[in-house]
Amino acid sequence: MKLKHRIAIILALIAASLWTLYPRTVVERVKRDGVFQYDTVDRVPLKRGLDLVGGIHMALEIDESKTTVPDKSVALANALKVVRNRMDEFGVAEPVVQQIGDDRIIVELPGIDDPVRAQDVVQKSAFLEFQITDDSDALAKALPRLDGIIKARGLGAPAAGRADTAARRPAGLGSLLQADTSDTSRVGADTGARDTAVAAAAGTAGPLSSVLQQGSIPGEYLVASTNVTAVEQYLSLPEVQTALPPGKVVRWSSDSIVVGNDTYRPLYVLDARPIITGQYVQDAQPNTDPVEGTLVTFELNNEGGRLFRRETGRHLQDHMAIVLDQRVMGRPPVIQGAIGTRGQITMGGQDLAAAQDLALVLRAGSLPVPLKIVEVRNIGASLGQDAVQQGVRAGLVGLALVILIMIVYYKLSGVFAVGGLIVYTLITLAVLATFDAVLTLPGIAGFVLSIGMALDANFLIFERTREEMDAGKTPRAAIDAGFDNAWSAIIDTHVTTALTAAILYQFGTGPVQGFAVALLAGIAASLVSAIFVVRTLFLIWLHRTGGVKPVSI
Amino acid sequence: MLRVLHNTNVDFIRLWRISTAFSLLVIIPGLIWILVSGFHYSIEFTGGTLEQIEFRDPAPSVADVRSALAAGGLPEVEIQTFGSPNELVMRAQTPVTVARQESGAEAVSRQIKAALDAKFGAGSYTVVRTEAVGPKVGDELRRNAMIALAIAFLTTLIYLAWRFEWRFGLAAVLATLHDIFATLAFMKYMNIEVSLFVVGAILTVIGYSLNDTVVVFDRVRENLKKFPRTGLYELLNRSVNETLPRTVLTGSTTLATLLSLIIFGGTVIRPFAWVLLWGIIIGTFSSVYVASPLLLWINHKWPRATAGSGRADRLAQASRKTERDARPAPVR
Repeated sequence: MKLKHRIAIILALIAASLWTLYPRTVVERVKRDGVFQYDTVDRVPLKRGLDLVGGIHMALEIDESKTTVPDKSVALANALKVVRNRMDEFGVAEPVVQQIGDDRIIVELPGIDDPVRAQDVVQKSAFLEFQITDDSDALAKALPRLDGIIKARGLGAPAAGRADTAARRPAGLGSLLQADTSDTSRVGADTGARDTAVAAAAGTAGPLSSVLQQGSIPGEYLVASTNVTAVEQYLSLPEVQTALPPGKVVRWSSDSIVVGNDTYRPLYVLDARPIITGQYVQDAQPNTDPVEGTLVTFELNNEGGRLFRRETGRHLQDHMAIVLDQRVMGRPPVIQGAIGTRGQITMGGQDLAAAQDLALVLRAGSLPVPLKIVEVRNIGASLGQDAVQQGVRAGLVGLALVILIMIVYYKLSGVFAVGGLIVYTLITLAVLATFDAVLTLPGIAGFVLSIGMALDANFLIFERTREEMDAGKTPRAAIDAGFDNAWSAIIDTHVTTALTAAILYQFGTGPVQGFAVALLAGIAASLVSAIFVVRTLFLIWLHRTGGVKPVSI
Repeated sequence: MLRVLHNTNVDFIRLWRISTAFSLLVIIPGLIWILVSGFHYSIEFTGGTLEQIEFRDPAPSVADVRSALAAGGLPEVEIQTFGSPNELVMRAQTPVTVARQESGAEAVSRQIKAALDAKFGAGSYTVVRTEAVGPKVGDELRRNAMIALAIAFLTTLIYLAWRFEWRFGLAAVLATLHDIFATLAFMKYMNIEVSLFVVGAILTVIGYSLNDTVVVFDRVRENLKKFPRTGLYELLNRSVNETLPRTVLTGSTTLATLLSLIIFGGTVIRPFAWVLLWGIIIGTFSSVYVASPLLLWINHKWPRATAGSGRADRLAQASRKTERDARPAPVR
């Protein structure tokens, strides 16, 4: 190959690398005044990993502890879509949502530093149902049987043994039936009077019936907060589950109500068949209302609207529970008239952020299967910044040391090697940018390390050239022989390193893959720079000196 | 012309007893120690939770934090300061904790935060880093790391067998195995935690050490052709001596970059860099003192296992020559 062509190729390589790395205008989501929006920014097209910018990494799997999932691959594919929608809505610069292997979803959210909220948004099933509360006293009728089952299991210690809690316990079934028409304020007024009745009733009544107190609307029962765990335990018994009234479901309220000094958690008995589900939700927005507090207003699509109008028309004067992920949101309102496409969900005491998140997951759709988190990593942004600074400093110092060694030891040839090293650095970074590789802290370490190793090829060549010169060859012949004879060793060392890097990539996760990619890019670049670029520099020098001057090596 | 170790003629292979003794002295106690007490594995491998937290002034004492966590139902959490007294690293890695993360990896992390909120207030600290790994992920990762090491080994063995000849490949791989054991022993002595990053370092050591050995063997291959009548013993020594400047130079530039990583690279990179530093020193040592004696020994043991190949013939010839040379010359 002619010298001219060699120079042209090298210049083209350098130009291509520089062009690849030149800061360009890209459209991406950026944070402006706390809100993410699309905007154009200028930046070097090198992606930085989570460990450098800070953020959250999550791995999720289908949670099969409560339900069995017949077709996992379909379920996971659907869940992936929903999670992706949610993350797009969540507002992150470059969210990564992808499937890994057969059963895992990886979510990466750069720049987000509130892991709890992010986890909630990802995990919330957001399964919305509208169910009519039971007005047939189905649970009251089944209570004696349920009490019997619970007693047979030896649960529910006799109330007498816990005198202090029994005194605070609101009601036995006998007294709560009297209260079934009272509104919330009357529950409060009655509490004092009822407490005296409790002690008598508790002794004889069953473990479940003694802790339930009829609420003010049909199908509503109040449970004192101290008894909630016990009731949860009773209701989770398999025998109790099967003995519950058919066609009905029991659901807790999402928040507690305060009556006097006591807090109660409402429990609702609902028709199992929902009149409509959240699949028809077209839009949902957070809102605040002076009376109701934070709420989410939603809008159904046309089909859902028709269905909703028909069903609510059929249930006039009934109470409708809005059930989200098996929790009743707010107190079930009375259906005054047929409702069309619009509705709202009151959030109880929760803040606006919670309403925003709920609106978000309603818009993005419900998860077809519950997901559980199998891994979370959260890296603060400051930690990432430190990491970048330290990595870059280590790289620069390492580079300076290496350049010093080369020039002191090999003089002019060392300068050639440094020239090769500059091209090497450019090519490596350009390769990383081209393949959209993510630069991680281990990646920087891998890059710094590969600088040391990239020079190996130079050492092989230069030492070989010296040997050939010792053997009495002319500079040109010695350099040619040096390059030619070092070739087999260079290719072997590069291939073995590339093999280990490839294996590391295959079996590693995030950060380690970053290391492997940097190493692989470095190996490729090192072949080009050491063999082609450095040789060309020698050829230029030989051309200028006419090949008679002894080479400074 | 500045030169190091130029035209040396050291009989490296003669020193094999000393070098073997040194290797065994490093490796055996370390391996026994590892067998007795095992490694300190990172959260990634065991499952568990790591929480790095920075308290605002005035920071509570470690004892206060410990009692707060115990009150929150987490008596098993290990607490260490990290850099400044305001910054704490909490590790919950016991089987009990890991089991609690079965249904959701974030459970213990939330429990830690709840316990801290209860005692010190929600705004009194910021979370710098969280790592929460469920038991399944940890098991998987451990298995993957083992598979990666095994495959790295096999593929390089196959490559070397293809490029050289199986005797060379075997010697190179055995020398690399030596490096891995020595590196594991070093990690035990230094109490370096086994993380995925460190496994990456071990894999890099494998690559580097093979590199070094390959360069020497490449020269052996060449010298076998060049000096067909020389004994393998002498030939190996000659090859090691000839490649010595390159071995030392590559070692020193790599060490220079690693030292810079250790000094300036920060706490995350440091264990990784230490493992590499040692691995590269031991890899250089082994390609000089371990790989060549091993090749000689293998060739002595199986002089011509596979018939036919020209390379094998030459190697066997060279080996026979060695034996002849080793015999005392007959006195006339």
